[in-house]
Amino acid sequence: MTDAAIDSRPSTTRPKRHDHSMFEAELSGNVLNLHLLGRIMHWLKPYRLGLFVSAFFVLAASVLAVLMEIVISLVLVDYIIIGQSDGNMPDLGMIELTQWIEHSLGIPALFSAGIVFFVAMTVHGIFGHAHRQTLVGAIVKALRDLRQDLFAHLETRPSSFYDGVPIGRIMTRVTNDIEALFEMLRGIGSLVGEFVPFFVALSIMLSASVELTLILLALVPIVAVATYFFRQATREVFRLVRNSVSSLNQNLQENLSGMQVVQLSERQSLNLKNYTRINKSNRRYEFRSINLSTFYGAFNDSLASIGLGIIIWYGGGEVVQNEMSLGGVILFTRFMGMLFTPVVMLGEQLNVLFRAMASGERIFQALDWDEQIHEPENPVHLHGRLKGRVEFRALRFAYKANTPVLKDVSFTVDAGEKMAIVGRTGSGKSTLIKLLGRFYDFDRGTIFLDGHDLNDIHSRDLRSRIGVVLQDFHIFSGSILDNIVLGNPSVSREMAIDAAKTVNAHGFISKLPEGYDTPLVERGANLSQGQRQLLAFARVLAADPEILILDEATASIDTETEILIQDGLRKLMVGRTSILIAHRLQTIQEADRVVVLHQGEVKEMGSHEELLAMNGLYAMLHELQFQETQ
Amino acid sequence: MGIDSIQQVIENATPEYSIGQVALGIVCCVLMRFIVVIYARRGLRRVGFAVSYDLRQSLFSKVQQQGSEFFARMGVGDIMTRAIQDIALIQRLIAFGSFGIVIMVYAPFFAIIAMTYKSPSLTLLILPVLPIIFLYGWKMSGAMADSSLAMQEGLSALTTHTQENLSGIRTVQAQAQEQNEINRFWVTNDQYATAFYDQARINSLMTAWMPWLASAAQLMIIIYGGNLVLENQLSVGDLIFFLACLNMLLQPIRMAGMLVTMVQRGAVATRRLFEIFDAKPEIIDNPSGLTPDIISGDFELKHLGYTYPGASEPALQDINLRIHRGESIGIVGRVGSGKSTLLKHFTRMLDSSDGQLLVDDIDVKSYPLRQIRRQIAQVLQDPFLFAEPLRNNISYDDPDRTLELVWGSAESAALKETILEFPEQLDTLVGERGVTLSGGQKQRTTLARGFIRDAPVLILDDCFSSVDTETEEHILSRLKSLRDDRTTILVSHRVSTLRHSDRIIVMDEGSIAESGTHEELLALDGLYAELERLQTPGADSDRSQDMELSPV
Repeated sequence: MTDAAIDSRPSTTRPKRHDHSMFEAELSGNVLNLHLLGRIMHWLKPYRLGLFVSAFFVLAASVLAVLMEIVISLVLVDYIIIGQSDGNMPDLGMIELTQWIEHSLGIPALFSAGIVFFVAMTVHGIFGHAHRQTLVGAIVKALRDLRQDLFAHLETRPSSFYDGVPIGRIMTRVTNDIEALFEMLRGIGSLVGEFVPFFVALSIMLSASVELTLILLALVPIVAVATYFFRQATREVFRLVRNSVSSLNQNLQENLSGMQVVQLSERQSLNLKNYTRINKSNRRYEFRSINLSTFYGAFNDSLASIGLGIIIWYGGGEVVQNEMSLGGVILFTRFMGMLFTPVVMLGEQLNVLFRAMASGERIFQALDWDEQIHEPENPVHLHGRLKGRVEFRALRFAYKANTPVLKDVSFTVDAGEKMAIVGRTGSGKSTLIKLLGRFYDFDRGTIFLDGHDLNDIHSRDLRSRIGVVLQDFHIFSGSILDNIVLGNPSVSREMAIDAAKTVNAHGFISKLPEGYDTPLVERGANLSQGQRQLLAFARVLAADPEILILDEATASIDTETEILIQDGLRKLMVGRTSILIAHRLQTIQEADRVVVLHQGEVKEMGSHEELLAMNGLYAMLHELQFQETQ
Repeated sequence: MGIDSIQQVIENATPEYSIGQVALGIVCCVLMRFIVVIYARRGLRRVGFAVSYDLRQSLFSKVQQQGSEFFARMGVGDIMTRAIQDIALIQRLIAFGSFGIVIMVYAPFFAIIAMTYKSPSLTLLILPVLPIIFLYGWKMSGAMADSSLAMQEGLSALTTHTQENLSGIRTVQAQAQEQNEINRFWVTNDQYATAFYDQARINSLMTAWMPWLASAAQLMIIIYGGNLVLENQLSVGDLIFFLACLNMLLQPIRMAGMLVTMVQRGAVATRRLFEIFDAKPEIIDNPSGLTPDIISGDFELKHLGYTYPGASEPALQDINLRIHRGESIGIVGRVGSGKSTLLKHFTRMLDSSDGQLLVDDIDVKSYPLRQIRRQIAQVLQDPFLFAEPLRNNISYDDPDRTLELVWGSAESAALKETILEFPEQLDTLVGERGVTLSGGQKQRTTLARGFIRDAPVLILDDCFSSVDTETEEHILSRLKSLRDDRTTILVSHRVSTLRHSDRIIVMDEGSIAESGTHEELLALDGLYAELERLQTPGADSDRSQDMELSPV
């Protein structure tokens, strides 16, 4: 394929550039994003049985709650104590039930009403518990799955994504935003539990007194309007609160991470001053939001009390005119609570809802983030052991448009060859090996692996054939053994230990308190640089890939460990194609050939001796290296 | 609510007022209540945020005093969870819980008085129920505490796991470990979900049975009281009033489930925060007041020893060393030989377990900590940069320095040309949201940060590792002319770097093995001479196999 042919590929295969600032942008902030709820349904679906059971129980429990009120007002007060019943109010068979128990057990009406009430109350308690349990169970599991899917999605985003988006931003989506969603779903669930009695109570009230009910209902729109204005007033304040909270956290996190520098620079008091400033403004905004939300809450509460006044005023008159029984009025006052609680609760839950809506948007934005390594539609499957011949042909690459990092790189690494890449910082060395691992999409130029176009190989397949040791070697929480095996079922404990022995890691591992089972902490802080390097070698050897890529760690390793590392590396390279970004003369001398990169181009290539003889860039670099130890 | 019951009383017990007057009375009550409630709630919520403000302040200033031991015990993710989640729990407890607690105390008090006034026998009837409610609440609150702790710890674990994983995402992907990591995450994720569910279960049980107990009390009153009414010993109005009072008494019990949850979670949060507040600073600042204002850079180490907590072997033992003002000292030694541990004593990042470090003949502990750290500039091995402009990163200890000084130190650290290449030069933002610097650039920035302080003593802890040799030579020669008469201590593995030092200290297994000039040490033909041979190119590369090497 010629250069021109490569360039003329259809543009659809070009990687799409993603604007990562979008990931941080303030999202739409719709008050009620129904689409969002629809999407959450997808995760709730597997647990719909739990949700239905929960809905059944809340329905039954609300009916029981209504029945309990009827037993008190219509049965106890009207029927038993006053001795007259209100024909208007449906008692839902409670009087008959009481009479039936009264006759069949032969006990006074008062006791039989007591029994009815007791049973209703107990069942109400059990049903209520069952409702909450099934509801929380379903939501917790659904959100656990959502979090898992989100994590899995993030885990497979390409390097370009992690280059562009700070980890802190991604973190909050997995933790805080999911929490907010939980609050919202639980809120909605319990609102359902409040709205069922709302309608039951409403229908009974309507059948008793249409006028009184309508007057009471007139208060509901007032609550709704108040809520609307409240939302308008708080939008800005909440935004300020959110921003100040996130800068508080950011500031603290940074200080914690750089605490040693802070202490060595004696910056504590200045940093505290900066933190205090943010903390103070956060407090100011929180106070402002309190003023608004308290006023709003009290307003709602007071509306409920006004409703009560109306019932007593209007209903009292009806009683005097014998239009309504005393029990009926009592029932109305009790029902009024059922009428207002959900509305007031809705108002109170509004904050949670708004925050959760924003969280939900952020979560789904992350889930929808489709940035990915372009995988081939019909991937070539690699069978058996590869020979390991790597060819870079007319490779060009730029992270950002117009600033090419690689400009037309072509060279071949033969099967089993040890190729060192040298060059100054910014010469494109790291980019070259990143492209070989397909961490970035490229479409200008080609890399061939045993004659297959790299872009035709699925990245998963490819990466299992390539062992990469980066400078920043990551340690996973778990034991030393876990870190060598890395979950590969085909690596046994013995094989892992053998690998460690081969690369000289066995020595320090066996000196650790629990040997191979010694737990390692976050970022491997309890191992030295050199030890981590040796562990990385063992990891690669255990996986036994055909191709080794090494970004050699720069210095900061004592000479004796250095010797162990060099020796381990030599053993690691046996029988595989090795591409080494070399910083050490010794590593370069070990290599069969050396490629000298300069500003994204291959400047020189050949064996160490040949290159020295050329007296060019390599000779100059070598001179500098050589000076060091003369 | 209490006031509602009074309204019912008015309605039933006072026929001499017209219904209109009663309703007007209610409206007045409502208005007054509106005002009172607004002020009470606002006050409490403000206190909640005021307290969380104070907690954050204490947390921030407290962690600043902590040393490496503390941070080894408590990771950044863990501290962040405490600072965010636990403080929020306490804030909610104060803002919402305290309101409930106040009602819980005063409402039953007034209710019992009013009830006893109306009918002592009825009041006696409900008293036996109260201890049962109390005992049940007590039992559940214990379970609640355990499950809350499990849940909060689960969240901490989840945060830490996510952070750790995402920080190493490149390795994960390079090793094709995505699926494994996703499976591993499932365990943490599911554990948290389970802990959450358990907590919700206990919460729900309380929400169910506390009101049940309350209603049982109500039922007793209804049956017994109803009987009294039927026998004409009690008026209907009195019974309703009594029930309303009872309601007032039991209302807080209905909320008890929620309250107990809040209190318990708040208690757990408080405990977790106090683990930070109560942590004693490892380094105690107790200046004697008798020390000179400026140190000259003269050090004497007398039998200095240090053992890390929990370690069986000392990291440093019996170090005796005298460093004179103006000397340049090179330190070399394998990993774990105690170089960094030794350096940490100079800036009191550690305090020795044995022996003494004298600065200008006075114990280092007698100096104000601030002075020691200001006058001894130490550049760390790990180049940490803040998410701020380069200028602030270089002049980190004192942001008010002039631009000339910043450029000057950047030049000394061979960083000037790099900075000039950035469009925004010294205002270039580095870190997560800004330009990502290469390892060498980062290291040179931290070097500039050390140089700009122009301190009497400069300590460089192996901070040329990512800088190429050419640049290192350049920086060091410049440094030599700048710091001719001042003390410099430098750790390196490169003989080429060390050889220019006035004196070289070779450390081995926590002690000083050799000491002297480059030539003296070569003549000694010990560890240093061996090192020099190993680093000379052309040395037989197979040597390592013949050598008897003790592993790291």
